[in-house]
Amino acid sequence: MNDNTMSIPHLIMNASVVVQLVMLLLVVGSILSWVVIFQRSIALRRAKQEYNQFEESFWSGVDLNELYREIPADDPRHGAEHIFQAGFREFNRLMPKTRNADTVLEGVQRSMRVAWSREEDRLTQHLVFLATVASASPYIGLFGTVWGIMGSFQSLSMTQQATLATVAPWIAEALIATAMGLFAAIPAVIFYNRLSNNASRLLGKYEDFAEEFHAILHRNLQGRDGKPSAS
Amino acid sequence: MVKGKTQIVADAPRDPQDVGYTLPVILAVAVHLAIIIFSLVNWPSHSVEPDSSSIVQATFVSTETFTDQAQQVTEQQAAMNSATEPVEEPQVSAPEVAEPEPEPEPQQDNQAQQQAAEEAARQAAQAEAEALAEAQAAAEADAQRRAVEAERQAQEQAAQAQAREAEAEAQRQREAEAQRAREQAEAEAEAQREAEAQRAKEQAEAEAKREAEAAAEREREAQEQREAEAEAERQREAEAAKAREEAAAQARREAEAEAQREREAAAEREREAEAQRQREAEAERQRKAAAEAAEAAMQRQLAGEAEAAANAQQAQQAANSFINIVRRAVEQAWLIPPGASNSLNATIQIRLGPSGELLAASVATSSGDSAFDRSAIQAVEQAAPFSELRDLPADQQRNLRQINLRFTPGDVR
Repeated sequence: MNDNTMSIPHLIMNASVVVQLVMLLLVVGSILSWVVIFQRSIALRRAKQEYNQFEESFWSGVDLNELYREIPADDPRHGAEHIFQAGFREFNRLMPKTRNADTVLEGVQRSMRVAWSREEDRLTQHLVFLATVASASPYIGLFGTVWGIMGSFQSLSMTQQATLATVAPWIAEALIATAMGLFAAIPAVIFYNRLSNNASRLLGKYEDFAEEFHAILHRNLQGRDGKPSAS
Repeated sequence: MVKGKTQIVADAPRDPQDVGYTLPVILAVAVHLAIIIFSLVNWPSHSVEPDSSSIVQATFVSTETFTDQAQQVTEQQAAMNSATEPVEEPQVSAPEVAEPEPEPEPQQDNQAQQQAAEEAARQAAQAEAEALAEAQAAAEADAQRRAVEAERQAQEQAAQAQAREAEAEAQRQREAEAQRAREQAEAEAEAQREAEAQRAKEQAEAEAKREAEAAAEREREAQEQREAEAEAERQREAEAAKAREEAAAQARREAEAEAQREREAAAEREREAEAQRQREAEAERQRKAAAEAAEAAMQRQLAGEAEAAANAQQAQQAANSFINIVRRAVEQAWLIPPGASNSLNATIQIRLGPSGELLAASVATSSGDSAFDRSAIQAVEQAAPFSELRDLPADQQRNLRQINLRFTPGDVR
């Protein structure tokens, strides 16, 4: 066994068709998972930056009406801005119609929950694919390995003298499938955990923001409720 | 917040949080290419690693290692074929153990060559001596032949002389006979005359007639005598002429014989020269044949050596494979005691039975750590029946009945 016959490209080219298909599937899965990893990483980083910017502008003491008017109505926003926009629009629409603060707050909360749910769906998009690659590719690679070892034993049964040298290339090329499965699965697992953690933290921030905004509206309604009842 | 506002406004037409897929795809492919290139570039250093990371380094020490003997022999042969100069000392390129085995063979070759040359020289000398002896023998035979010829000629001359004597004798006899005949005739004539005279006296009448008859008779007889004498004279003359003729013929014959002898001598010389040339050619041929035979013998010897070397090679390979099997088995069975340092080194001597069973395992060179030695012996005992010994040829089996194994823990615990 010299280097040439045991090198990885040589082993891949000499593998059986099933093992080669498995390897191809794993390579495609790995590439797609890396695409998802990069795309989600960039998207989550941007969402976090935008959230930080919005939070800064929100708590800078600016008037909420002004803040709301700065956002164009036909331009859909994401993240905390989207939640704020949905809640404040609902608040503005309900305020002229009812005097009941609880109804208004209930409507605002519902619309904000819908917006939050949409944000969650947007942030965790494609992460399921990453989870699928992470969990399935070791099994796919193992299937390729088992198939290759079956082939190696079949060829071993035909030889007269079973030495390590006759089995070694077969087992090596079979094990490459498992290696590729793990190669696809390990980054997918790591980045799935990291990205889903980032997304859930961001969603938690959105939730916090929604509660705080709800609290502000509630405070305003309490003041307004008190005024008409008092007058 | 003016800055943030402008940014938001600028980004407004497209979704700021919707990241496109082209950049991630490029990045992902780049990552994979980088990994593949890294694995390919790093591969050679990976392939070196397994050698150093073998757990056990039990090495076989006692028997010789395999060398490229056959190749050397063929090289020698090629050298011999190209020029019959003696081969230079082969460079033993065995890396680990410089074994003394391949060196004597070239010396043998040289010796064989020298022997062959000597033999050829000896044969040439012998052939020359033979040629000389042959020439001498030829000369002797020649001399003999000449002597014989001379004798023959002498005999011939003697015979001729005898013949001449015999002729002379015959002539003398013939003359004597003629004389006798004449005397007789005379005596008869006398007697007749006496008788006639008596009868004439007795018979007168018839006497005259008888006398006339007798005269006629006498005349006739005288005539006869004259005739006989003339005849004898003629015969003598003829005899003398013949003798002269014979002498001339003799001289002629002798001259002829002399010329013949000269011719024969010339022919003989030529023949001798021819024979000498042939003998020389023969000797040359014999020398050549001897040299060729020596060459062929040398070639055969070399071929035999090459074959023997090839056989030895095969046997050596078989022995090496058996040693490898033993080493693997022992390595697998060896449990290195904890705390054994890498510098420990023990040599275990193993004696095997004819079917590969373990007869004895003893410590040949102790490592100084008794636990380590014990573990090595236990490893040998665990791996013990080396039944592959039976697959080897018998002479190899004898060689491999006793094996030394050196145990050194590798760099891996």
